Amino acid sequence: MNATNNKRALTGKDVITVGIFSAVYFVINFIFMLLGGFHPMLWILMPGLIAVFTGIPYLMMCAKVQKPGSVLLMGLITGLIYFVTGQFTVIILITFVISCVLAELTRRQTKYRGSKGNMLSFVFFSLGMTGSPLPIWIMRDSFLAQITEQGMPADYIATLKAVSSPVMLVVMVVAPIVGALIGAAIARTMFNKHFIKAGIV
Amino acid sequence: MKQIQKDRYLDPRMGALLLVLANVAAFSQKSFAVELSWIIYLTLLTTLYGCWIMALKWLTAFAAVLLIQWYVLPASPMVIATSFSIFANYARRMFPCLIVGMLMVKRTPLRNLIVGMRMLHIPQKLIIAISVTLRYFPAIREELGYIRDAMKLRNIHGAEKVECLAVPMIVSAAGTAEELSAAAVTRGIENPVRKTSAVQLRLGAVDALALTAGIAFTAAAFVIK
Repeated sequence: MNATNNKRALTGKDVITVGIFSAVYFVINFIFMLLGGFHPMLWILMPGLIAVFTGIPYLMMCAKVQKPGSVLLMGLITGLIYFVTGQFTVIILITFVISCVLAELTRRQTKYRGSKGNMLSFVFFSLGMTGSPLPIWIMRDSFLAQITEQGMPADYIATLKAVSSPVMLVVMVVAPIVGALIGAAIARTMFNKHFIKAGIV
Repeated sequence: MKQIQKDRYLDPRMGALLLVLANVAAFSQKSFAVELSWIIYLTLLTTLYGCWIMALKWLTAFAAVLLIQWYVLPASPMVIATSFSIFANYARRMFPCLIVGMLMVKRTPLRNLIVGMRMLHIPQKLIIAISVTLRYFPAIREELGYIRDAMKLRNIHGAEKVECLAVPMIVSAAGTAEELSAAAVTRGIENPVRKTSAVQLRLGAVDALALTAGIAFTAAAFVIK
């Protein structure tokens, strides 16, 4: 076998590790997705909230599997499960692939080690979840047209327009960046306090 | 008898294709007639695969969303109306995808899913990772139960709870990853030859019918405006 070529490739063990931490990531992600149903503002901020709480499983996975492809695999799993269970549209798969490729490139540049590089890749990774509320803006026109047809009062329409305005789009994109930085900081504290002592990193 | 049992499994390839169609239709359809017939068709399909209770639930839920959108929201106070109308609208559009998705969850066993993915030439690594993820969900639930019990014993409250939940969760996940990979490597997960399976996937008459109808509806979503 071409052992030298396969040195950096993912082994069976790596793939299983990624799979397990993806499950942990997905569960946290799913809890916040359910919360997002209560109010559109929560939904728009959801990618940011998720980023705050998923720093630990993501960075743990990064520490365990320092090889190319791991992040892409994690993102694909999350996107695919959401897509196959019909909870989200194809858009989420697309945003996940884009953000994971960016995260993957960041890790490659920083040689898969070092907290700064992993932190930056986590910022990119967290942006993948923006594919969930994105249809608010994509379907905006048809949605507003339908509401207007129903004869809703003007101020009502104005409020909805405000929620789905381009400004909110910016908020939605900035939230995961801030969230990821907080999440990575939390993860770092936890690593130093527990995981390094426990010898799992 | 056995044949009937087999037919009632939704072929993963069919499911995935239907899901893509449902997605395309969800974004392009503008006519209520198409939307309604699409929903009715999908619930019929659900019944055909033997989940008639689920089909009934879907119809009720869809009717409820329509009622909320047409009667409850216009009559309710501004704050509530504005917060829920986007969600109601989105939920209504996502209905077909949800129906197909839940049908997949109910009627496609993990084993069939793996065989289906292999037949679609999805990389083996992705297949392993996905199946590990799906299999680990029940383990997480179990683990959370134990951790909660332990927290009750030690009388942990408030913000400390989050930390006391996260740390054992991650530690046990790391442990499981070690054990599971040792077991899998022993059983030859890294063997590069093509893997065989006892499950044989064949597309049946129901699948063909479902697919034709699915394509017809997606086409209708584009044509009828």
